[in-house]
Amino acid sequence: MQFSPGAFIAPAVDWLNTNFHPFFTALARVIETVLGGIEVALLIVPPPGVIAVVTVAALATLGWRVAVLSFCCLGFCLLADLWTASMQTVALVVVAVAIAVAIAFPLGILAARRRRFEAALRPVLDIMQTVPPWVYLIPAVMIFSLGRVPAIIATIVYGIPPMLRLTTLAFRGVPNDLKELGQAIGAKPRTILFKIELPAARPTLRVGLNQCILLSLAMVVLAGLVGAGGLGAEVTRGLTRMEMGLGLRAGLAVVAVAVLLDRLSSAALQRERAVKAG
Amino acid sequence: MDLSAFAPAFDKQVDTILSWLSDNAGFLFDGARLVLEGLFNGILWLVNLPPFYVVAILAGLAVWRLMGLKFGILAALAMVFCAGMGLWPETMSTLALVIAASVIALAIGLPLGVAAGLMPGLDRALAPALDLIQTMPPYIYLLPSIALLGFGPATALVATVIVAMPPAIRLTSLGIRMTPNEFIELAQALGTGRMQTFFKIRLPFAVPSIMAGVNQSLMMAFGMVVIAGIVGSGGLGETIYGAIRKLDIARSIDASIAIVILTMVLDRLTQSMAAAAQKAEE
Repeated sequence: MQFSPGAFIAPAVDWLNTNFHPFFTALARVIETVLGGIEVALLIVPPPGVIAVVTVAALATLGWRVAVLSFCCLGFCLLADLWTASMQTVALVVVAVAIAVAIAFPLGILAARRRRFEAALRPVLDIMQTVPPWVYLIPAVMIFSLGRVPAIIATIVYGIPPMLRLTTLAFRGVPNDLKELGQAIGAKPRTILFKIELPAARPTLRVGLNQCILLSLAMVVLAGLVGAGGLGAEVTRGLTRMEMGLGLRAGLAVVAVAVLLDRLSSAALQRERAVKAG
Repeated sequence: MDLSAFAPAFDKQVDTILSWLSDNAGFLFDGARLVLEGLFNGILWLVNLPPFYVVAILAGLAVWRLMGLKFGILAALAMVFCAGMGLWPETMSTLALVIAASVIALAIGLPLGVAAGLMPGLDRALAPALDLIQTMPPYIYLLPSIALLGFGPATALVATVIVAMPPAIRLTSLGIRMTPNEFIELAQALGTGRMQTFFKIRLPFAVPSIMAGVNQSLMMAFGMVVIAGIVGSGGLGETIYGAIRKLDIARSIDASIAIVILTMVLDRLTQSMAAAAQKAEE
């Protein structure tokens, strides 16, 4: 007894590739253009300039600790001779998170409003969060071949469930009396959403965003295996060619980027709370 | 200071340190490697002992006991499906890796979690380390282990243990700390000893949380074991990695289906064990 579902699915993928080729190419081109644009924007300024801008911005809004940390993290990326790779990784994460949030946020609100929709969504999210990240890359690679585009698509899909879950949780957690107050004073649903629910849900939303960023980074680094470039590619090169120096440098740069993104986003969260409390 | 000289100097230094380590402490790493591979091979031998249908039936029975007949039959059929795709040896090798890594992770994580639950100071000291471990992308844990242990399952095990440990520590410590105070006071009022208070009151209350930790550890281990295919861990991860490199779509789909099946069966099993523990408590 021997069978292979893959042997049936592979021709279907081939068929998709031959018949919807223009669509996939167009999609790939759009993604490539956006990514390329962000990358150019990050790389056109000389590295010390980028470091200075980020540090000063962090100092002005988030306090000196975060500023020092940002300086050290970015400084290490530059020092390790991995500036371009680091910025490619940052660009991938930023684009993936932006798209994942744009998809997950409305769906999360909808799920918070309609029990039925949430009940239908839950098993799908459960499965998505159980499946190992590696598996996400395969369908993307089948359609978009190797490169940055499958990487970013897998990253987006991987980043959606946590953001969606926490968005639903956040909007569920908005106190009912606040919403009723809005209705009582005759505010439009739109006004209630933006002026009452969104501010009340914000702390949980930021947690979701933080999660989404870290998971996306993990995926983007892993996507080095399918030719996504950036730091993941350097780590993969170190692992497969046994160039441990390069691998460790790239690994430490990944840590720097992870710590930077994590601290920046959670410092922003704390600041939100401080402002609200004050 | 010439900044551009840093990278080559760093690489050279790393190479020097590594060759020094393998010259002078090689026996240590070889020993660790032997122990880890021994554990892995033992478990692999054990899961390969019965033919595939016996394993499938056992999995089905376990799921049936915990989740009902429908899921039990589904789980058994899903395992047979893995065998039908001709991926049984790879599936079992992945299973053996996950079990070996989880066993080590729990052997370290549970006692540490209990200690952290009883000593707030230790808990505070561990928190930043655990945060850092969980912040970093799992992929990079392969680097130090491949540098010291070389290509093979031992490397995969070490990296997997690092990734799988934090949830076990966190949730065990949480469970121990969450014991309702009135019960501890009750125990004190009755004059029970410390050991008794721990085993009869704190531990039973912590079981649901600990089981949740076991489930999470297992899932983290799964994610990592599959990634570890790149360092020659064997199993489904390596199958997928090889298939992707050859752009053999059909085989990579088969292997992913097998991974998803194995993950779902193990996840549902441990989750329902956690749920059963929760229920028993109430």
